[in-house]
Amino acid sequence: MADFLVWVVWFVAAFACLASALAVVSFSNPFYSALSLIGNLASLAVLFLLLSGEFVAAGQLLVYGGAVMVMFLFVIAYLGDRTGESPWSGGPSWQIVGAVLAGGAILAEVCVVVGMQAGGFLTKPQHITRAFGSPEAIGRLFLTDHLIAFEVTSIVLLVAAVGGVVLGSHARKIEGDART
Amino acid sequence: MHEPWWITIPKALIVINVVMVFFALTTWLERKLLGRMQNRYGPNRAGPKGLLVPIADLLKLIRKEAFAPIAAKQPLYIIAPVVSMFTALLAFSVLPFGAGWTVWGHRINGAVVNVPISLILIFALGSVGIYGFIVGGWASESKYSILGSMRTCAQLVSYEVSLALSVLGVVLMGQSLNLQAIVDKQQATLWFFIPQFVGLCVFMLGGVAETSRPPFDLPEADTELVAGYHTEYSGMRWGIFQAAEYINMLTLSGLCVTLFFDGYHFPWVHSLDKFGPIWFVLKLFTLVALFIWLRASQPRLRYDQLMRFGWKVLLPVATANALITALLVVAVS
Repeated sequence: MADFLVWVVWFVAAFACLASALAVVSFSNPFYSALSLIGNLASLAVLFLLLSGEFVAAGQLLVYGGAVMVMFLFVIAYLGDRTGESPWSGGPSWQIVGAVLAGGAILAEVCVVVGMQAGGFLTKPQHITRAFGSPEAIGRLFLTDHLIAFEVTSIVLLVAAVGGVVLGSHARKIEGDART
Repeated sequence: MHEPWWITIPKALIVINVVMVFFALTTWLERKLLGRMQNRYGPNRAGPKGLLVPIADLLKLIRKEAFAPIAAKQPLYIIAPVVSMFTALLAFSVLPFGAGWTVWGHRINGAVVNVPISLILIFALGSVGIYGFIVGGWASESKYSILGSMRTCAQLVSYEVSLALSVLGVVLMGQSLNLQAIVDKQQATLWFFIPQFVGLCVFMLGGVAETSRPPFDLPEADTELVAGYHTEYSGMRWGIFQAAEYINMLTLSGLCVTLFFDGYHFPWVHSLDKFGPIWFVLKLFTLVALFIWLRASQPRLRYDQLMRFGWKVLLPVATANALITALLVVAVS
């Protein structure tokens, strides 16, 4: 019974995930695309829940589903309705190259996972302790096994913040010059 | 002893209905208190002391025509208030309101659900609930509504950071993200509003901004934006938005009681703990009265003042508080 419920929830979440991902790239109105992306992040959070990662699921909802997407919606609504501009006309050619490369990478990943499943590499169930996925366990991993990745991420974020400040002050300077 | 799973269902029903009654009571309390603070009576006709005014309001709103602007983006326009209401009610489910009881051999826990990360869950639900306000304003295709939505975005994102950081001190001292564990820790040591007084101040200020209550009601500043994001809503759809806002305020007060004022415990006398819900509600409504007092006595901030206060005062204070708490906790332990 419990297994069946898990299977049903997984099926619904996975379907919602794929459908919303398709919707993100299908809507012509970017506001609807952003809303679909929120749906996509929420269904990913459900998948994390099924993997006993409660903390990651809540973090996903709080940080990506909440704060980050609010900024997306803010910018999109602020810029106004631009549905008239087609995303396909006049884009630089490297966009197409990038899209094909990304698509190829995902296809390769899908092939590898399907192959591993068929080869029986993924059928061995891992033993999961009670502490798995708890904030304590994740925090310990951040400060031991994945310390370098964690610190590098914080530096990347710092660079982004400094870049934002520089761009902002540059724009303000141009505005000030134009005014005088 | 574990709680049988089916008890959650009647408990959730009771809690939702009690919260709705509290919402109605809060609107009455707000009008009554505002009236007294402004030297007038407030509602006093319908029922004793005007207590039936919320019921009359409800009947009026339900019977009113719920018209929508012809340009409104239909599915979103209708779903938006529902999303806000849903997350507002859902967030209340993790607040512990009692120590738990044993009735006819069945264990009943003092919260609808008790999850290990209940604090984060409340914040996550709050950040999803914001979408109701943003999408509602955007979908009504009106300049005032869109401006209200934009302000909601900017204000709530700015103050959410401070709000989350102000709670960090309590989490460090309680050593848990579980609200029940934080309450137990306060019972064992002392109420956290004493060591975390700075955190409490930041939490209350951030909370007023997060629930868009005056003096931080920029998203619906009626002198500038008519009514902000719910300008184009009428009837019960507007009522649902209003209800979501009030329930958010109740949840935030409940969270503040849980984090800083020892939740449902009665001070010193442990034998009174089995009446937990009564003390919880008393503490909660004391804070709600404080919210109303703020509304009655403070003028609304200007938009740039709001942003400056959020980023240049509240955020540094909250960060310093979290850092100093972390240092002290490490030094003591």
